[in-house]
Amino acid sequence: MLSLRIAARFLRRNPVQSGLIAAGIAVGIGVQVFLGSLITSLQQNLVDETVGSSPQVTVVAAAEGDPVDLTPTMWDALSRDDRVTTAVPVRRFSAIYRRKAESVPLQVVGGDLGALDTIYDISKRVVAGRARLSGDAVIVGKDFAKANGLAPGDAATLVLPDGRVAGRTVTAVADFGAAAANETLAFVPAGFAGDVLDLGDGQYTAVEMQVSDVFQSTAVADALRADPAFAGTKVTEWQSQNRDLLTALQSQSSSSYTIQAFVLIAVALGIASTLAISAVQKTRQIGILKAMGMHDSRAGRIFLWQAALLGVTGAAVGVGVGLALIVLFSRLASTFTITPQWSFVAVSFAVGVLVALLSSLIPSRRTSRLDPIEVIQSG
Amino acid sequence: MAEHLLVADGLGKTYGDVVKTTALSDVTFSVERGEFASVIGQSGSGKSTLLNLIGLLDTPTTGQVLVDGRETAALGRRGRARLRNELLGFVFQFHHLLPEFSVVENVLMPGLIAGRDARRSRVRAEEVLALLGLEGLEDKNANELSGGQKQRVAIGRALLNEPALVLADEPTGNLDTANTARVYELFRKVNAELGTGFLIVTHDRSVAQQTDRILEISDGRLVQDVRNTYAAPAP
Repeated sequence: MLSLRIAARFLRRNPVQSGLIAAGIAVGIGVQVFLGSLITSLQQNLVDETVGSSPQVTVVAAAEGDPVDLTPTMWDALSRDDRVTTAVPVRRFSAIYRRKAESVPLQVVGGDLGALDTIYDISKRVVAGRARLSGDAVIVGKDFAKANGLAPGDAATLVLPDGRVAGRTVTAVADFGAAAANETLAFVPAGFAGDVLDLGDGQYTAVEMQVSDVFQSTAVADALRADPAFAGTKVTEWQSQNRDLLTALQSQSSSSYTIQAFVLIAVALGIASTLAISAVQKTRQIGILKAMGMHDSRAGRIFLWQAALLGVTGAAVGVGVGLALIVLFSRLASTFTITPQWSFVAVSFAVGVLVALLSSLIPSRRTSRLDPIEVIQSG
Repeated sequence: MAEHLLVADGLGKTYGDVVKTTALSDVTFSVERGEFASVIGQSGSGKSTLLNLIGLLDTPTTGQVLVDGRETAALGRRGRARLRNELLGFVFQFHHLLPEFSVVENVLMPGLIAGRDARRSRVRAEEVLALLGLEGLEDKNANELSGGQKQRVAIGRALLNEPALVLADEPTGNLDTANTARVYELFRKVNAELGTGFLIVTHDRSVAQQTDRILEISDGRLVQDVRNTYAAPAP
C-alpha cells in the first residue's frame, strides 16, 4: 500500500488543490442526487395524481352498451395475476341532477364501498358526513355539493337514463382530488345501479383494476386480451389513453439525463486536468522513486489512488450536499415532497468514484511511462 | 571463483534516429565488491551516460551490463527496477529528497519500495542517520535541512537497503568545501565499515585522487584505468 500512502501524502501537501477537486466532484454528485431524486419524485407525483386514484386497466364488453358477465374463470384469472392489486366490478351510468329549473349532468358509479375504496379511496377522502353506500345513499364530490348547496342528509333528485326519477339522500361529500371528478362523479350502491341498468347478478358495465407498477398496465392488458376467459370483452389501460402525459414524462427524463451527463463530463474534465497538472508537479518525485526501484505500474497507481481518495471523499460529500438540497427544497417548496431515491444515490456515488478513476487514467499512464533519467539529468 | 560485482562489456550509447550522436563507445571494465573508485572526465565526455547505463537507468545501444554475473538486458524494466532497489544506491548532484516526507521516511523509502518490514527498516534507518551524524533530525521535514544535511540524508537513503554498490554522480557538486570533505569522509567510513562499494563520477581531479581507482572517460571512450595507491586511508 506504498502507492496509497504516497498518494495521500501528495494530496495533503497541496490541500487547496485537493480540496478544489473534491469540491468539484461534490458539486457534480450533489446535482446528480438532487436532480435525479427531484425528477423521479416529480414523475411519481404526477403519475400518482393522474392515475393513483382511478382505474389503470378496465375491462368492458366488446359491443358498446352490453354488460360484462363476470364469470368465476375471469375472477380466477385476475386473482392469479400478481401484478393486479385490486379488481372492482362497477356499474356506471349517466344521470341528471335536477334542482328546480337547473339540470346538472352526473357520472354515477355503482359498487360496494369496500371494493370502490381500493381504487377511489372514497372513505378517506370524505370531507363532510360519513361514507356509507346502502339503501338510497349517494356520495358526491365537494365542488358539485358546493355548487348545488348540498350537505350530508339532504335529498337529491336524479333523472335516470330511461327517464325515471329517483330520490336519493346525500350521505357524504368527498374530495376526489381532481376538479372534473369533484364536479361530476357520484357513487351509489351496486344494487341500485343494477336496477337502473336492468342488470342481473354477475352483470356489470366494467371491471376496473389497479396494478402494482402503473407502467405494467400495458403488459397486464395484453395478458388479459390473450386470455380465453376474457373473450368478448375489450381491455383498455391508462397509458394508451394518456399518450401526451407519457411523452411529457419521457421528455422530462431525457432532458434530466442530458443535464446529468453534461454535469458528469464537466466534472470528469475538471478532475482530469487537475490530476494532469498534479502529475506534472510530481514528476521529480516519481522519477526519483523509480530510480530507487519503484516499478512502473506501482508508480502509475499513485495517481489512481489519488483519484480514488478524491472520488470517494468528493462523492460522499456530494451525496450529503444532494440530500441537504432535497431537505431544503421540501421545506421551502411544500407543493410536493422529494423522496431521496436510495438506489439512485448509490449509483451516483459509484458514478462519482468511477468518473474520478477514469479521469486518472491519462496521468497514471503518463506516470508509469516516465523515464527516471529525464528527471535526474534535468536536476 | 566469485563473479565480478559489475561488468561493463563493450558498452556503447548512441542517441537520435536521424542525426546520430555517439555518447559512449566500447567501454569495458569491471567493478569488484568493496571497491572505492571514481570515473573522471570533462563535462560532456559521457561519464553520466556511463553511470546511467551501469545504474540500469538506461539501456546500452551496444554491449551489455552484467550484475553479479547476470545479464541485465533481458530483465525488462521491472526486473531492472528490482535490481536497482536491491543492489544499487544512488546519490545525485541534487539531493532529490521527497518534500512530502520527513527525513526518516525519505531514508526508509527504498526499504518500503522493497516491501521490507517497516519496523526493522525504521531501526536500520535510524542507525544510518546516526552513522551520518543526523541524529535528532528524523522527524523534520526534508525541506527544513541545510544543503549539506540534505545531501547526507540522500546518502542515507542510498545506503538503507545495504547496496553492494553506491553510484554517486557529482555528489558534492552543490556543496561547499567543508561539506564536500565531510561527504568523502563518510563515503570512506561506510566503505570501510560496511564494505559498500562506491563509484563516484566527478569532473574534479582532486576528488578523484581521493579514490583507490580512477577511470578516465574522454569523448565517450575509456582512456585510462589506474590504481591510486596514494589515496588509501591511513591504517
